[in-house]
Amino acid sequence: MRSIRNVLNAVILAGSILLAYSCTTGACFDETTAYMKASLFLNSTGKQTAPDSLSLWGAGMDTSKIYNSQKNLKQALVPLDASSGSCSFIIKISGVYDTLSAWYSTYPHLLSKDCGYTFYHNIDSLHTTNHKIVKISITKNSVTTLSEENIRIYY
Amino acid sequence: MSSTGELMAQKPAATEPPDTVTIPLAIRAGVDISGPVIYLTDKNNLTVEGYLSADLNEKRSLFLGGGYSNYKYSQYNYSYVTNGFFIKAGVDFNLMKPQTAKGKYWAGVGLHYGLSSFSYEIPELSHDNYWGTTTASLPSQSLWSHFIEASPGFRAQLFGNVTIGWSISLRKMIYSGGGKDIRPIYIPGYGLAASSFSSGINYYIIWNFRYKTIKVLIKKDQPEEPEEETTPSTNTGSGNMQNLEP
Repeated sequence: MRSIRNVLNAVILAGSILLAYSCTTGACFDETTAYMKASLFLNSTGKQTAPDSLSLWGAGMDTSKIYNSQKNLKQALVPLDASSGSCSFIIKISGVYDTLSAWYSTYPHLLSKDCGYTFYHNIDSLHTTNHKIVKISITKNSVTTLSEENIRIYY
Repeated sequence: MSSTGELMAQKPAATEPPDTVTIPLAIRAGVDISGPVIYLTDKNNLTVEGYLSADLNEKRSLFLGGGYSNYKYSQYNYSYVTNGFFIKAGVDFNLMKPQTAKGKYWAGVGLHYGLSSFSYEIPELSHDNYWGTTTASLPSQSLWSHFIEASPGFRAQLFGNVTIGWSISLRKMIYSGGGKDIRPIYIPGYGLAASSFSSGINYYIIWNFRYKTIKVLIKKDQPEEPEEETTPSTNTGSGNMQNLEP
């Protein structure tokens, strides 16, 4: 009787573990888009400073703005076009327009089983007009979902 | 030696258990039934697995296992297909006392090394962002992975040469074969590759083919001597010491 009870206990334990194992489901809570992180610096002071207002949208996508007269923004999250090797943005800092262009390579990256794949980028080069923007620089080429600055915009 | 042991066992047979126990050594062939059962409820996950083991003695067995996995997964933004073979080799340790196990029961742990050869493919993946939806696919890639496994479990003889049992598998990845960006999410024989640790459970039906019997000496538990018997000897010792004193 005792051995049967031990076997039953073992079976119940094994069944519980199997049940817990089989019922493990996941959901995606991670950042799934790799943004190019652009920090904004005031050229005269060299310090990271939010402009009075900032608007940003993709060239040819005037009706869909990424930022619209945003205030207190020290770092802009700029989405790159994964289906193209380059893209351009219209950036309006304190009412003055500039065009920012980026050239890059794109590759898929597995985030996790639950989140699936996203696209990472490697920035090759940047170009900007200089109406308000004084200069730009690349601080980290690889654009990932991590919170790492990629470029600096001095205005 | 054994005849002496038998004689010694026969002499006090009326009052004491024998000093040796006969243990059959067997070659075992086991088939896992949990994989096909899971497949009945989840047609995207098929694993067929089995093993062979050969008893070296009453405690240790050589283990050689293997199987095939076909795993599919899809969700709103990608689909994943993998299939491949795996083998595991190692030693199983029976932790039961021979007089309890009697060659019929096994409660112990197996320590195995696993090697998986598989291919995987992402037929479609998509990602949405500000610019719209980007789609892609990744062609089939072949990889090798390897891992180690500890398998505690229990087996009991059901009837004749048939044994049933289960084991829990606790696995630690050594090398998944994948890169930093593109890597497998499921590895045959290992399971989900998201973590460097995975677990699973197997239920086995096992056929035993006995090839030899051995006699194993039983370690008898020494009966505790009552304090009343030890006290006089201590007293005797101290008495001797006292005798040595002038």
